[in-house]
Amino acid sequence: MIQLFNWFRRGSLERGLDCELQYHFDRRVSDLTESGIPDLEARRRVAVELGLARVREEVRDVWLTRWLRDFLYDLRFSARSFFRSPGFTAATLISLALGIGATTAIYSLVDQVILHALPIQDPARLVLVDWNGDQATGGFGSWNLMSYPICRDLQRQTRFFDGVLCRAEIQVNLSAGGDPKPVAAEIVSGSYFAVLGIAPALGRVIEERDDAAPGDGPVVVLSSDFWQAEFGSAADIVGRKLLINHHPMTVVGVAAAAFHGVDVGAIPAFWIPASMYAEAIPGAEEDLLRRPTFWMQILARLRPDLTPAQAQAGLQPWFKAWLQDNMLRPGFPIITADRRGRYLASTLELTSAPQGHSPLRRSLSQPLWLLFAATGVLLGLACLNVAGLFLARGSTLGREIGTRLALGASRSRIGRQLLSDSVLLALAGGVLGVATAPLAIRTLIAFLPHDLAASALRETLSVRLLAFAFFASVVAGLLSGLAPALRAGGGSLVSSLRERAGTGFGGVRLRKCIVTLQLAFTVVLVIGAALFIRTLAGLLAKGPGFETSGILSFAVAPVQSGYSRADAARFVRRLHEEVRALPATLNSAAARWAFLTGGSWNNATTIQTDRRIVTGNVNLNAVSPGFFSTLGIRILAGRDFDTHDSRPAGEAGHRSAIVNEAFVKRYLAGRDPLGIHIGEGSGPEVKPDVVIVGVCAGFNYRGLRDDSEQAFFPMFEGEDAGATFYIKIRGAPEQAIPSIRRIVHQADPRLPILWFRTLDDQVNRSLTTERLLAGLSGSFGALALLLSLIGLYGVMSFVVTRRTREIGIRLALGATGASAIRLVLHDAITMIAGGIAIALPCVAALGKLVQSQLFGVTATDPATAGAAALVLVAGALAAALIPAWRASNVSPMDALRLE
Amino acid sequence: MPSPRFPIPQGTLDMLILQILSLEPAHGYGIAQRLEQISRSVVQVNQGSLYPALHRLQQKGWLRAEWKQSETGREAKFYSLTHAGRRQLAVEKDSWARLSGAVNLIFEKGSR
Repeated sequence: MIQLFNWFRRGSLERGLDCELQYHFDRRVSDLTESGIPDLEARRRVAVELGLARVREEVRDVWLTRWLRDFLYDLRFSARSFFRSPGFTAATLISLALGIGATTAIYSLVDQVILHALPIQDPARLVLVDWNGDQATGGFGSWNLMSYPICRDLQRQTRFFDGVLCRAEIQVNLSAGGDPKPVAAEIVSGSYFAVLGIAPALGRVIEERDDAAPGDGPVVVLSSDFWQAEFGSAADIVGRKLLINHHPMTVVGVAAAAFHGVDVGAIPAFWIPASMYAEAIPGAEEDLLRRPTFWMQILARLRPDLTPAQAQAGLQPWFKAWLQDNMLRPGFPIITADRRGRYLASTLELTSAPQGHSPLRRSLSQPLWLLFAATGVLLGLACLNVAGLFLARGSTLGREIGTRLALGASRSRIGRQLLSDSVLLALAGGVLGVATAPLAIRTLIAFLPHDLAASALRETLSVRLLAFAFFASVVAGLLSGLAPALRAGGGSLVSSLRERAGTGFGGVRLRKCIVTLQLAFTVVLVIGAALFIRTLAGLLAKGPGFETSGILSFAVAPVQSGYSRADAARFVRRLHEEVRALPATLNSAAARWAFLTGGSWNNATTIQTDRRIVTGNVNLNAVSPGFFSTLGIRILAGRDFDTHDSRPAGEAGHRSAIVNEAFVKRYLAGRDPLGIHIGEGSGPEVKPDVVIVGVCAGFNYRGLRDDSEQAFFPMFEGEDAGATFYIKIRGAPEQAIPSIRRIVHQADPRLPILWFRTLDDQVNRSLTTERLLAGLSGSFGALALLLSLIGLYGVMSFVVTRRTREIGIRLALGATGASAIRLVLHDAITMIAGGIAIALPCVAALGKLVQSQLFGVTATDPATAGAAALVLVAGALAAALIPAWRASNVSPMDALRLE
Repeated sequence: MPSPRFPIPQGTLDMLILQILSLEPAHGYGIAQRLEQISRSVVQVNQGSLYPALHRLQQKGWLRAEWKQSETGREAKFYSLTHAGRRQLAVEKDSWARLSGAVNLIFEKGSR
């Protein structure tokens, strides 16, 4: 520290040292002259004795360690030379800021979504317990589903676990005084907070006693975020009553502020004990705490001395016995011997889960890694660009360096100077990049799908992120400084001095290599961008297979407001009638499950022809009459449902069904599907008593890539928990929103509308990942193209300048302008061809990694690769043509006079 | 003919400077002269190496410096010992005494 301080007062230190040494010198000289030595001789002797120059250097070393001093001088020198060439400085800074900014922004998401451990006690010991094999029983929810009884039984395996929790994300209807509204929440076992080690910020957390038996814990613990947003951090929140799905619950506490649940993509409004499943999930009528239904994720805390693999191996014998016991549980389905064999062969799978469980991570991790790799390439490209710029500058600095070498500077010293140049620039670029990163991250987060739950993703820069940016910029600096620095180390001194200004060698071969590499990187990025853009365009052009324009959808869930299922069905039916009667409505239909949300109701079906066929999983839905015509889906055979197809409320079972083309093709090939009987489920107890009355054209159910077998049953049969309405509106769909709101409000003022969306919007939402990939890879490709074309232009114009004399002589000897252009373009074409030749095998090798993200195009699609190459060739030739044209216009006289 | 004076052992110059300054403050030239007088014809101190040592000791906080009029009437930089410097001198004297005592012991025992 003192040393750095000395740097800033080195002026006064130097003056002091001068006076001090001068005093010594003078006194010594006068002493010697007094003893009879002549003045001149005395001065000479003292000068030798003292060695003034060396003393000064040694004292300076005391003030400030030599390497640090040199480094600071280098930095000062670099800064000055940068201010002298603002164009060069701006070009490098912008290249680096873009490269580092993009990398930092994507890394921020990678860090938050994929790498970041939960803010809990000792997250490294958390494992996700998953089922590997045939679960035999049905369920609902997203991924890694398990049943509540398994969690309870695992809690007794204390040889392996210090604690086991289960949780599921749910959506409930909350009213806290004001209008009821849907919120996202987490339903959890009583062990949840204890296993994660989360303390309350206020009151208490959910405890084991809240989850002892059904109905035991009408309590909720609020998340800190929701407490702030909804209740303004009210201090008297504990003890307040909330209405959840129309049931009163008491707030007993607020969780620690940093804790956002175990899913990084969604912050729950509150946590509710699993004992309240009947109130929290009104659709579920079975006893979820005892039945083997799969609906929760299980996370466990391993004992400290175990690895997940050890615990997994240790658990299998217990699990074998458990599988047998589980078959005796009430609610276990009757299954075929074949299926029982697969069920009994199931194993438990333990994976380390310090980051918790997150559907967002599942869907985003591959795209994010892809984008991260792309930004890595982009950063590499920016480095190459900077290296090229440095080389160009190095060639103009060639004489200066030569002079310094001649004066005795060591090559390593000059190399270090050049390195400090690039490190300074890279750090400045890094600072710029980090400054722009939050904006980029915010834009990125806006790209991501967000539903009810607040996202825990933030644009804040973590220490990790800053460390990453610093690391990235230093590496960028070192890489881009290395080539010019190495060049300064080699090369002949005499030749560099002999060169005339402006005609230096300038490492043309090295620069050509750099540009070739840049072009290769660019081809890779442009092909990637083209693939993702074609995927998005392909999906958009294909559409979901039904009409989306002018269609509005909204959803209600009356059972969440205290309705019985029969009442809910009656309510939905009434709503349906009233919406139909609206003047703006052209056509309207309802479905039990919403389309294009990623989820579905699915089950196996049993087909009875001359024999029984059990199908694989079929996507099912219940729809009202008129559904197919409202969405413009063709009925290929038979008829649509009519009002007679629906059974009266209370009477279970379906009478008729409509299946899609794919279903017929796969299971009923060569038969007339009409009149065939099917039933839902796969067991021997399933009665195939539903008649197929129609066949509809294929369309997408879960998402735009989904191409599945589907079967539809009539709606309004007394088992609807809620419905999604699809309304074809005359004019702009948004206009109808107020009148629909009024209808719902008149029917039941307490019933919230879960969402209002146009189908176009819904299609867009289902394409967020594709949009993210296409948008970002497109901009990366464009940036890469720009960077490498600048590089190509730079090196080509340098070549032309260097060969001006040669070209002039050629022209003087009778060569034509066209031949001069050819001469120059030849170089450019070699580089472009080289770049493409390097890139294509890379694309082929990387293709497997991206294939799963593509649609309607293969990663090695020759047309896409060709088009990308064509774009590059066109751009590159244009960039090279400008210098080439300049070469053809060289006047022989001027060129020779340049001497 | 080899010089009758041998160069000052590494690391002892600091100790000698501290010792000289413990008597009274002095400027660089004064310290050099004093070194010459005390160690006349025994050790040889390179006059140039005095200044890096003085600056090092000052940076360590063992010396303090001020500009004062010297005996010739010119301004000169006078060094004096700080408290830390005094403590350091005691430490170095002590360790020197122990080292030379140990070396002596080895010589005496070895010659017997």
